[in-house]
Amino acid sequence: MARSVTINPPKMCQPMGAILAYMGVHGCVPLVHGSQGCSTYPRYNIARHFRESAEVAVSSLAEDAAIYGGAKNLTEAIKNVKSRLNPALIGICTTCMSETIGDDVKLIAKNALVPGDAMKIIPASTPSYVGTHLTGYDNALRTLLETLAAKGEPNNKINIITGVINPGDIREIKNMLRIMNVKSIFLTDISETLDTPIMPGGHKPLLPDGGTLPSEIVDSANSLGTITLCRTAGSAAVYLKNKFNVPAVLDPAPIGVVNTDRFVQNISKLSGAPIPDEIIRERGRLIDSMVDVHHYMFGRKVAIFGDPDIVSAIVRFAAEAGMNPTVAMTATRHKDFAPDIKAVNSEYSVDTQILEGTDLYEFHKVVKTYGAELIVGNSKGKDIADDENVPLVRVGFPVYDRVGVYRYPIIGYNGSIYLLDQMTNAILGHKYDPNKLHQ
Amino acid sequence: MRQIAIYGKGGIGKSTTTQNLTAALASIGKRVMQIGCDPKADSTRMLLGGKAQATVLDTMRDNGTGGVKLDTVRHTGFGGIKCVEAGGPEPGVGCAGRGVITAIKLLEELGAYNEEFDFVFYDVLGDVVCGGFAMPIREGYAKEIYIVASGELMALYAANNICKGIVRFAENGDARLGGIICNSRNVDNELELLIEFSKKIGSQLIQFVPRDNMVQRAEINRKTVIDFDPTCKQAEVYRSLAKNIIENRNFVIPKPMAMQELEDMMVEFGIVER
Repeated sequence: MARSVTINPPKMCQPMGAILAYMGVHGCVPLVHGSQGCSTYPRYNIARHFRESAEVAVSSLAEDAAIYGGAKNLTEAIKNVKSRLNPALIGICTTCMSETIGDDVKLIAKNALVPGDAMKIIPASTPSYVGTHLTGYDNALRTLLETLAAKGEPNNKINIITGVINPGDIREIKNMLRIMNVKSIFLTDISETLDTPIMPGGHKPLLPDGGTLPSEIVDSANSLGTITLCRTAGSAAVYLKNKFNVPAVLDPAPIGVVNTDRFVQNISKLSGAPIPDEIIRERGRLIDSMVDVHHYMFGRKVAIFGDPDIVSAIVRFAAEAGMNPTVAMTATRHKDFAPDIKAVNSEYSVDTQILEGTDLYEFHKVVKTYGAELIVGNSKGKDIADDENVPLVRVGFPVYDRVGVYRYPIIGYNGSIYLLDQMTNAILGHKYDPNKLHQ
Repeated sequence: MRQIAIYGKGGIGKSTTTQNLTAALASIGKRVMQIGCDPKADSTRMLLGGKAQATVLDTMRDNGTGGVKLDTVRHTGFGGIKCVEAGGPEPGVGCAGRGVITAIKLLEELGAYNEEFDFVFYDVLGDVVCGGFAMPIREGYAKEIYIVASGELMALYAANNICKGIVRFAENGDARLGGIICNSRNVDNELELLIEFSKKIGSQLIQFVPRDNMVQRAEINRKTVIDFDPTCKQAEVYRSLAKNIIENRNFVIPKPMAMQELEDMMVEFGIVER
């Protein structure tokens, strides 16, 4: 890409991802060490995607802090959050400004605590101009574990690193683990905190119910193994392996038949639990759903963009379902992205174009060249889909022009069925004469 | 109004030279403002007789941007010289470069430049380490730059490096090198070496300032040489520097040397052994 500007990048900055990681921990308040807008932007995205308000604190740096350092602001912010919310954890994420002036966040955080304080502070370094939201998620999660995880008695649980996926996805994985009778620790779990039920009796906690307990994060050092749903969030798994000998499995996201099979087998291998009939029946329903729509979807050109783990897994699933994935694009570079898609290309004799570390302008150009009858991606793909007069199936983050997308899974056998149905219905609604669909 | 920035390696004597120079200019009736752009805030102490001055940024930190008044941050020193210290963060925290930018912008807002000055001097920290310390030359404030150097390798290395910064800003603006001031360290062949260096980078040696204990004696008394003993030999040197700068018409975009070229020159003059 011989361009010196980026046009419509489908990525966000590190604090956005870090906040999502922190929001999945029970009683953890994210604290952005930066200027006011550095918390407004993530809160805005959370509000419009999850339709939930998010408690995100900010040290509110201004010009004087840029010159004199942000210690005073950060210390005061920690004090304020403690006195107002008294959380178990404060998860700090740094920003462009605090990283550039070189604030010693670890030291400031340490000094802000009084001896014997029960509250813990997670000092993640998340410079916004390095990497993307996924880098931020990875950094925050790893720092959580580095700060809290501690060796104890074996717990017979499996750690599941979620990455940036939706509450619906997490609930589906929990369902599968329940069916397999495997105990788990989710690192981390936004399924309740960012999809909060309104409970009878007007129960309104200061911080949302749900989320991974801090004690579970401590205990994650004693698990049977760690499985990532998104490898972009894998450095925490590597940390647990190197530090506590917890086996780490960094495999593709469980979307589609092959990838979900691999996930189920990994769970079975690590836990020793057999694969129950109910899981095999779910798998069978996925295959049946693929057969059901085959005549609509065979050879359909589909272009996919978003986060690397999700995109490469959907590319594989599309190929499994007989579609023709033409373009796969991600703004976040990851070493597994291109190899994953090249493997699909050779296994299924398709020619998916690989775009990595680029933007939607480039994606659009390549879509024009290689064609697409369907685009899969987040809301930022709307203009391209409109321009190409093809439907957009909304997945990923952020989706702000449809409601409820975060509620439904695209992960696991059931999630894959739902995704495929969405894709098929989009084609049916767009390509077929509505009066002839009874045939 | 001529705006002049003084750069040079840390510890080379920029503040001492600048204060003696501005004192010399004031003693012949020139109206001068001197702005210290260094968090250490020690650029104007000899002009003010050692009085600790409230810096722009300290005042801003205590009172907010709106609480900074020109009178509290600008004091009148020897010969009516208006003295300002930008100030900056404590060592090891924050961003001193951003401080320089903020301080100069704030001074402008406060109308510090509205009076009739013949000269405004910026005495800038050691090296152009980041964009902030280039502020005086990059936004069209100072168009003349003088570099204080000596015959020591690292002083010339720093001077050469500063020239690279000047080249960058000269491309987009009017910043030009006016010459090299040698603050002598009594190195062998120092005068010849400095003349050669100045020539190589396309500029001139505008003044050779010999080492003289008088400077230290005056400094202990919190005074410039011009103030302490205007009849001494060293005072004459600083007046000569002032005169040369007043009459200077030789402003260039310098041609920095390659490191190897610089070292070869040092060998030639017997400073560095092969």
